[in-house]
Amino acid sequence: MSAFFQFLTFMLMVIMPVTVHAREVQLDASVLLTGMDAGGNDSFKSGKGVVLQYSYYLKQWLATDIGLFVSDQTYTDTNRDVVGDYRASIQTSSMLLGINPRHKFSAPYEVYGRLGVLYWQTELEVEEYFNESVPGGKTSATDTGAGYYVSLGGAHYINDRVVVQLEFRHMMQLDVFQGESDYPFDLRINALSLGFGYRF
Amino acid sequence: MPKPIISGYKIAATITFIYVLAGCEVDSSNNIPPVPDTGLVMYAEANLHESEETAQIAAAVYRDGVPVGLVGGDVFEARTGTQRVLLKDSGSYDGSYAAPLVLDVVQDVFLNIVHVPIEAREDRWYPVDLLNVDPGPGELVGKSATVSFPPAVTITGPASDDIYTGIDDIVDLSWVAIGAGDSMRVLSLVSCSDGLASSSYGTVVDIADDDGLEAVAMNRFIFDLDEGSPAVKFISDAAQALLQELLEQLSAGNIDPDFVARKVEANPVSSDCEIRLFLQRQRKGVFDASFDDGVVLGSRSAEVIVNYLSATPFN
Repeated sequence: MSAFFQFLTFMLMVIMPVTVHAREVQLDASVLLTGMDAGGNDSFKSGKGVVLQYSYYLKQWLATDIGLFVSDQTYTDTNRDVVGDYRASIQTSSMLLGINPRHKFSAPYEVYGRLGVLYWQTELEVEEYFNESVPGGKTSATDTGAGYYVSLGGAHYINDRVVVQLEFRHMMQLDVFQGESDYPFDLRINALSLGFGYRF
Repeated sequence: MPKPIISGYKIAATITFIYVLAGCEVDSSNNIPPVPDTGLVMYAEANLHESEETAQIAAAVYRDGVPVGLVGGDVFEARTGTQRVLLKDSGSYDGSYAAPLVLDVVQDVFLNIVHVPIEAREDRWYPVDLLNVDPGPGELVGKSATVSFPPAVTITGPASDDIYTGIDDIVDLSWVAIGAGDSMRVLSLVSCSDGLASSSYGTVVDIADDDGLEAVAMNRFIFDLDEGSPAVKFISDAAQALLQELLEQLSAGNIDPDFVARKVEANPVSSDCEIRLFLQRQRKGVFDASFDDGVVLGSRSAEVIVNYLSATPFN
């Protein structure tokens, strides 16, 4: 079992016993429009993703969060240099753990934020094409590591239990391929998400 | 060194602006150096301008007149005893590669085609040492050429900013003669304005001997648009590319990429013109015996600027 899923299992074992006894918990599910930036001359197209988050309310205005973010495979534009044509793509998953402060204005509106650490698993794939006589191909590599996330959102309560949420998220994966390559990078993921929450 | 009447940057901006407005004609013929049409041919050229410590290096391989692209990590390497650079940029000629090379001292430049799959990809953003589709070295790897620079050019006349008023005037071009068997030529870049329109073009004048003196008529640089240009030899694609590269080097890249392309809107003979004269000394180099033929040139150049002022007032 990979370290990523060992971590996921551990966190679920820690959190679940707490949440089953909690009076106020909330499950959020959102779809994301993502923009990735790995620095340098990359040129990622926009991508998609989903996130599931489970919140346990410590106080009326503060919850702890655990979640899972999974992105679609996101491609860069095809570029050309002295070597040939190339295109890269990234598919990533992250385990999220943090806090979730909220402030309720006049009902039914609420603003909230999220701040926490993430544990990511990222696969980078590169396709290269040279010319008719020199074959190209694909190659890929996977790495895991840590990072952080922060987000700001607004919520609209449809009723006492169901809430619609619009949220801007910023996730940072630090030192991707550090130790495996002389050219590591930080992966920034900005995302706009729209989703529903259900409060138990 | 005296400043030109108008800085190169301002000329470039002006011509670009007028070009956009007027939709001027630009020479778009096939831009390859003067290499044989058959066989595997090496082209390499390096120019070192006066007081510059950086030579502009360009190289290409042609097979039956068609550029052979280097791919998969094969790349030209230019090397001296102390400096080294990979030619990763596109050169001015079709299919050519270029890069500046710092020369601590003037010395031969050894050009070699190498296979460096990681270093060739170093400008990419991802871990190229980890993700690398390497097809292995191509058939051209190992082929080489050596560029030798001739002695420096020192212009002794005319004086900078000399003024000429007629196309029959004579420009007495003088320089410190070396006479080592190198070829000489003058590349000119002419920028004219009649107050309403402007023109820019390049001409070339071959010089018979490296004897230190050449009388060149002004009509080799300035012509009457209405009567044609019988004495003017417009700059060829090859020389145009070289001059464009030199201008880019001198202006640190702040130059219209079509600056040297012929754009004649104002009649030069009735305009005021700035004439940048580049006196160039060229020396042939050597190329790998595995090539069928080759053009390998090292050159050094110096510049003087003179002015042509129309005797007739602008319309």
